[in-house]
Amino acid sequence: MSELTISRRGLLAGSALLLASTALPTIGFAQTPKKGGRLVLAADSKPRNLNPAIVASNGVFFISSKIVETLAEASFDGKDGLEPRLALSWEGAADGLSVTFKLRDGVKWHDGKPFTSADVAFSALQIWKPLQNLGRTVFKDLEAVDTPDELTAVFKFAKPTPFQLIRNALPALSSVVPKHIYENGKIEDNPANNAPVGTGPFKFAEYKAGQYYRLTRNDAYWGKDEPYLDEIVYQVLPDRTSAAAALEAEEIQLAAFSAVPLADLDRISKVPGLKVITKGYEGLTYQLVVEINHRRKELADLKVRQAIAHAIDKDFVVKTIFLGYAATATGPVPKNDPQFYTADVPTYPFDVAKANALLDEAGYKRADDGKRFALKLLPAPYFNETKQFGDYLRQALAAIGIDAEIVNNDSAAHIKAVYTDHAFDLAVGPPVFRGDPAISTTILVQSGIPDGVPFSNQGGYKNAELDALIVKASETLDTAARTELYKEFQKKIAADLPLINVAEWSFISVARDTVGNIANNPRWAVSNWADTYLAG
Amino acid sequence: MTRALILLRRRLVGSVFVLLIVVIGSFLLLEAAPGDAVDAYIVSTGGDAGMIELLRHRWGLDQSEFTRLANYLWALMHLDLGQSVTFSRPIREIILERLPTTLILMGSATALSFGLGSALGIYAGARPGSFRDRSLSIGSLALYAVPGFWLGLVLIVVFAVDLRWLPIGGIETIASGKTGFSRAADIATHLVLPVSALGFIYLALYLRMMRAGMAEAWRQDFVLATRARGLSRRRIVLAHVARNALLPLVTMLGLQSAQMLGGSVVIESVFAVPGLGRLAQEAVAGRDTPLLLGIILVSAVLVVVINLLVDLAYAVLDPRVGAGEASA
Amino acid sequence: MNRLRRFLRTPEAIAGALILALLAAMALAAPMLFPGDPQAIAGPALLPPFQDWRLPLGTDRLGRDVLAELFHGARTSLAVGLAAAAAALLIGAVVGTLAGFAGGLIDEVLMRITDAFQTVPSFLLALALVSIVGPSLGAVVAAIALSAWTGPARVARAEVLSIRERDYVAGARVIGMHPLEIAFREVLPNALPPELALSSVIVAAAILTEAALSFLGLGDPNRVTWGGMIAEGRTVLRTAPFLSIVPGVALVLTVLGVYLAGEGVVESTAVRRSLS
Repeated sequence: MSELTISRRGLLAGSALLLASTALPTIGFAQTPKKGGRLVLAADSKPRNLNPAIVASNGVFFISSKIVETLAEASFDGKDGLEPRLALSWEGAADGLSVTFKLRDGVKWHDGKPFTSADVAFSALQIWKPLQNLGRTVFKDLEAVDTPDELTAVFKFAKPTPFQLIRNALPALSSVVPKHIYENGKIEDNPANNAPVGTGPFKFAEYKAGQYYRLTRNDAYWGKDEPYLDEIVYQVLPDRTSAAAALEAEEIQLAAFSAVPLADLDRISKVPGLKVITKGYEGLTYQLVVEINHRRKELADLKVRQAIAHAIDKDFVVKTIFLGYAATATGPVPKNDPQFYTADVPTYPFDVAKANALLDEAGYKRADDGKRFALKLLPAPYFNETKQFGDYLRQALAAIGIDAEIVNNDSAAHIKAVYTDHAFDLAVGPPVFRGDPAISTTILVQSGIPDGVPFSNQGGYKNAELDALIVKASETLDTAARTELYKEFQKKIAADLPLINVAEWSFISVARDTVGNIANNPRWAVSNWADTYLAG
Repeated sequence: MTRALILLRRRLVGSVFVLLIVVIGSFLLLEAAPGDAVDAYIVSTGGDAGMIELLRHRWGLDQSEFTRLANYLWALMHLDLGQSVTFSRPIREIILERLPTTLILMGSATALSFGLGSALGIYAGARPGSFRDRSLSIGSLALYAVPGFWLGLVLIVVFAVDLRWLPIGGIETIASGKTGFSRAADIATHLVLPVSALGFIYLALYLRMMRAGMAEAWRQDFVLATRARGLSRRRIVLAHVARNALLPLVTMLGLQSAQMLGGSVVIESVFAVPGLGRLAQEAVAGRDTPLLLGIILVSAVLVVVINLLVDLAYAVLDPRVGAGEASA
Repeated sequence: MNRLRRFLRTPEAIAGALILALLAAMALAAPMLFPGDPQAIAGPALLPPFQDWRLPLGTDRLGRDVLAELFHGARTSLAVGLAAAAAALLIGAVVGTLAGFAGGLIDEVLMRITDAFQTVPSFLLALALVSIVGPSLGAVVAAIALSAWTGPARVARAEVLSIRERDYVAGARVIGMHPLEIAFREVLPNALPPELALSSVIVAAAILTEAALSFLGLGDPNRVTWGGMIAEGRTVLRTAPFLSIVPGVALVLTVLGVYLAGEGVVESTAVRRSLS
């Protein structure tokens, strides 16, 4: 019985965006927002740098997005999936060589100084382009930022850059920090990296190492009547099992980013006063991917890769490992992406007999002990689910005569083994889809990437046709044509299997009933929470 | 007293060598680890080759191992523990911030296991071989065999979630603004569960040692003599038998002080206590070599000092202990 | 014969021996009773115990047979414990005997190294070592042995110091045996009984250390161990408590058995020496 309800919920999570936009009004339980109160929530990561302009990652955003704002935020119903933050409008030139931003008037930094186009120019040229983990790719051709007046910033590119890409990059890559604080001294050593100053609804108050981060209300925030909360406290809970206990003991009111283990959700959803929320992460889709080392002669054979794809029961993975809180994947773009996804790709239904036949055909017959060949499998240790999938994959491979030995590393050793030393045959990775394939998806299959770059193609895969397609898409300015190229990209990957996309998942929040306006945008957990409130 | 001084000097000279071995050994061990601080860092950020090179250079990881070890030892001679790469702060500051928490946690847990363990040991050893002796021994052993993290989780579920008597974790109520006595009381309530989880594990150690010592003492001549003198059993137990059995327990205290820090890694993680144990785990995960070295060094100094005190106490109390063979 | 009778004198020793015999039987019978990979998926996930006679103890998060895992876990857990204890005793006995017999500078250096190892919290050492070589049973055994050899070393040294002046050692010296030969052929065997008394502590500590490492995500995923089962079961402690209770009970029984039997050995050899 319970399996039925679970998979129904899984469907909901899977077809996220469409459903989410229609279901939106009911989420807040139609209470009227109330002012005041302290929201306490669980945090497990302790980012060493809180500057989202330098480190564009969800761990940093989770805290700093309330303090430092971006030019635009993702939105369920805004045009192009965006809504204004520090920028009111954005327009790309037809030649792809410039983008013009009109900025919000009357915005003040937390120290009282006015926010102007000079801050945007400084952030883009001095931080996003040279220092930011993702910006170094997306803004590589940014040449200058003109500031004709205090509220206009014009980005100038050396080479035509698709406006669609810049637009899609805005929610994650465009955190603006104050020029007057960063212009002197080395940006990386600035104390504001640990105690950020921004324009957001909350100010950074204090950090007690290993205990909590505390943010307080910004009374001079530009949003009318916002923010509602007086304080946000991130309580550091290092063990994943303690978040659920803290919620039940009413010590915290919210646990985001699946801090409550999936297996506990069914039970906790029945606890009075707690609600399980699957929305609000549509813009932060993680992909469960089998990375393949094509230097292994067996794995360089397409038939073997196809056999592995056929050996994986994706429905089992979604149902048992993700307990329904995920969707099966068809290719490198997740199903819930509204712009690029296509279902029209080769698929590999679960079929052990076919997988065995493919391996026989490829010439890897079973030896007397029933094994064809052995390989090393490295599941990424960052998530419970990636490790469990590793355990599952070992069994799935055993069924087709491939003897996989799991190598269990901690994060640092895993990164080194897979992306620098290439000491793996198969690896399980959780890359993130960030709204545009050019941001962090194409590098998963592109060739010519230097050794040591994490979350990139380090499997030695080389496909000239695919490389050409990626380059072409990065230069195509017309949105429709560009989108079409990425659909082609998905087909090629599904056909040639440089890696195998198994499932895609987002996170789950658990909150007390009193927390209002949760999950009202596709990046809710990493958005500014200006309208979040506590009722009662 | 001169004997104690000779012992002190000998031990101090020896300790410097011990600490040097610890530092160099730990440094080499960590250097052998696959992946460095940059690898640990980019797990959560990603980044291209240029950025990675930039970080390695900034954190001094592009220098040779030998240069870094030499630099570290040189700085150490000036009592400088260096800069943490994960926290970008001076290590001395970070450790000093965490040290009191760990000392309170370990101190209370040691007091609990030592106090309760030896008391129960006396109770059990008063009648060796009796039912209460056996059940206490076996009960404490069973407790010892329960993994610490599991015991901690069960305590949380029962006392923090179901009964709601105690907080689930942390060291004090967040930003409560409490001071003085009410803050101390707040910290004490937060410590009840982690101290119990940590203390109960080591309870068996002291209990069994105490009762073994008592069983031994019962057979010794002077006890037989006191019995012959017709002293009451209670008096014999407390004044003679238990007192004699207590000495080796004190030695054990010194030896166990190092192990407690290891045990607290897991307990601090379960109860979200911001102590040294968890810091050490974070340092290993983040490949923060100087930070881990700092923690190991500080804990080693702590252990050396505690053992020195134990030895000195021995030398003063028990004249039979010579200055040469005082090691436990 | 006499010794065995003495060993079985106390009910504790009998209980300990019974538990260990049962464990050994479980470990030996595992491949016969549960042939094939114990980690194979055998049924629906999270099946509670006593629901399905083919899966009497239910299944775990992936649908693996808990009973099969328990039996195979007995193999690995015992292997880890015994191997770690054997390695620690070997290192400790060698170092201790050398130090005690050689004396002088060698003794000093060896004992300072022993001090150094004793000063570092053993779990931290294990944690660092396993992070470095990667979690495998071998690494876990090595890590535990490296942090547990100091006790045996001290005991061995103390024994050697106390017996090296005795007649038979002096006699060996007179007939011109090499000092090392004397150390390992004459002195070491006599120092063994108190060493064995320490081994029960090490076996238990080894099994527990393996569990704690698994808790921190540093277990060997290719093998079933009880520690790993408990660590994995903790995430569903509320929903499926049996997943951590079943291996937990097995672990408690094992540690008890090892301890009780160890006590029995100590008593029967009738060498009453203080462990430290």
